[in-house]
Amino acid sequence: MSTQYSILFKQEHAHDDAIWTAAWGKSEKDGSETIITGSLDDMVKVWKWSDEKLELQWTLEGHQLGVVSVDISHNGSIAASSSLDAHIRLWDLESGKQIKSMDAGPVDAWTVAFSPDSKYIATGSHLGKVNIFGVESGKKEYSLDTRGKFILSIAYSPDGKYLASGAIDGIINIFDIATGKLLHTLEGHAMPIRSLTFSPDSQLLVTASDDGYIKIYDVQHANLAGTLSGHASWVLNVAFSPDNTHFVSSSSDKSVKVWEASTRACVNTFFDHQDQVWSVKYNSTGSKIISAGDDRAIHIYDCPM
Amino acid sequence: MASFGWKRKIGEKVSKAAVQQFEAESEKVAEDAELEGVDWLHAIKRKREVLLEDCADKSKRLKDEGARLAEQGRHWEAVKKWDEAIQLSPEEAPLYEMKSQVLTILQEVFPAVQAAEMAVKLRPSWWEAWQTLGRAQLSLGEVELAVRSFQVAVHLHPIERPLWEEDLSWALRLQEQKRVAQQKAALEDETRQVVEEAPELQQDYEDFESDEVIAACTAIAERQKRFEDLKKTAVVVDARGVAMETVVGDDDRPASSSENALVKARAVVYIGGPPLPYITASVQTHLMQPPWTFSAKRSPDSPPAGWSR
Repeated sequence: MSTQYSILFKQEHAHDDAIWTAAWGKSEKDGSETIITGSLDDMVKVWKWSDEKLELQWTLEGHQLGVVSVDISHNGSIAASSSLDAHIRLWDLESGKQIKSMDAGPVDAWTVAFSPDSKYIATGSHLGKVNIFGVESGKKEYSLDTRGKFILSIAYSPDGKYLASGAIDGIINIFDIATGKLLHTLEGHAMPIRSLTFSPDSQLLVTASDDGYIKIYDVQHANLAGTLSGHASWVLNVAFSPDNTHFVSSSSDKSVKVWEASTRACVNTFFDHQDQVWSVKYNSTGSKIISAGDDRAIHIYDCPM
Repeated sequence: MASFGWKRKIGEKVSKAAVQQFEAESEKVAEDAELEGVDWLHAIKRKREVLLEDCADKSKRLKDEGARLAEQGRHWEAVKKWDEAIQLSPEEAPLYEMKSQVLTILQEVFPAVQAAEMAVKLRPSWWEAWQTLGRAQLSLGEVELAVRSFQVAVHLHPIERPLWEEDLSWALRLQEQKRVAQQKAALEDETRQVVEEAPELQQDYEDFESDEVIAACTAIAERQKRFEDLKKTAVVVDARGVAMETVVGDDDRPASSSENALVKARAVVYIGGPPLPYITASVQTHLMQPPWTFSAKRSPDSPPAGWSR
């Protein structure tokens, strides 16, 4: 257990082009840790994280255009990826084989997110609809309409009650999943929201925007609980630590920042990337952070526990 | 006198406009100094600030003048204005982006790509610069690079439908055609190789009337025929692809291009010799001259959005 933030591992040239997305999962079966990255080079790569180093396990080919988003099911067995050609693909992480390919229609798949029970995948569309695909059926099951603009970011609350979407015009919508009703519409930012995430206790929603700010909302009352500044450019990604205490953000300013949830203060800044950092995630225990970006590198950081 | 020496030392790297600007300023400041008495410490400091401010102002004026000229179709004059502006404010990404658009119209393809590359380097999260770079790369024939640039633009700004529907899909279609054309060319090449270096011709025949020789001739003729067939299909397939493009908005391209190509192909075959490079080249040029999908947006009557930016 480390006592301070430090960079632990660098995988240079992890892809042939910019890395746009990354996910960190843990297999329920054998406890192994899997990292998935998606890139402008059309590839999805599956890495094993063991003995403090990355080992390439699979290179998943199939996407015709750049991979925009990846996610891992909560039991760690299935990966979902979406690309600019609006195809969502499901992959078996054990065999490295494609399970399903779903054509969402032109421009109709951006961020993909597994539901907490991993039976569904949610993705935003350009008409402001959140489309929910069945993992088993491989078909669109239903959709939630925000009546808004292009949805860039999607997040399920871990308790399975809410689904939040962030649009290109800065509007946040929160749905009640059970009823499919739109609960709140928040005029959060004036610019695109490229990422949002719930806290593990489902009480807070954190949003990241091109306006350079991070905002924290109290989910139940839809109150703005805080606005954080610190990044010098677009905030591209946010992720909450599993222990509810911290969250991490990445930005076009090439930095990765760790924030304390209670004080809303930035407790550490990593300036290790050469270019904008598109993706940042915690591992399942919160002891590590992964970041990846335009410089084609994957970085793993140590966090004090 | 001192300023004269300074001018000579710096030489050609400083534009005339910038020098004149600087001299005018220094004269003004000198006059001011005479009036107020000499306060050298502050005079020098103020001079630099004044110069920086004026460079930005003047650059902006030149940028707007250039945009107006471009709208009137006076493209070269616009480029000149923007070049002057770039001398004054070399970090201004929009100057390079606009210059690239106009250079693309002028078919100055290589400088156009260079200008757009500068724009994306200065402002990597500006999607319009990536779009302009992609278009410049496309007119240079760099289809793969253009596809990449358009993807970056879409990723930054997915709400822009023309980026999908015109730029990216057009570039992808060209990429596919290029791939098909290359495949055909490779296949043709391979077949031709077999035709030219027929194994039957390697051995010596003693009796020219023997069944052996007749069989060899038949084999060669058979292969020749297959080669010709292959070549015909290649041309037809590619030409169909091009004909398909005419639907996109390329009215002045003769619809009979497929027939022409076929006639050309036949003629070359009858004349003999290695016709492949010629055929492939003609197909390639058809592919590489985009029907200028952007012309609607980029014609002088309806200037691209970038000029009002």
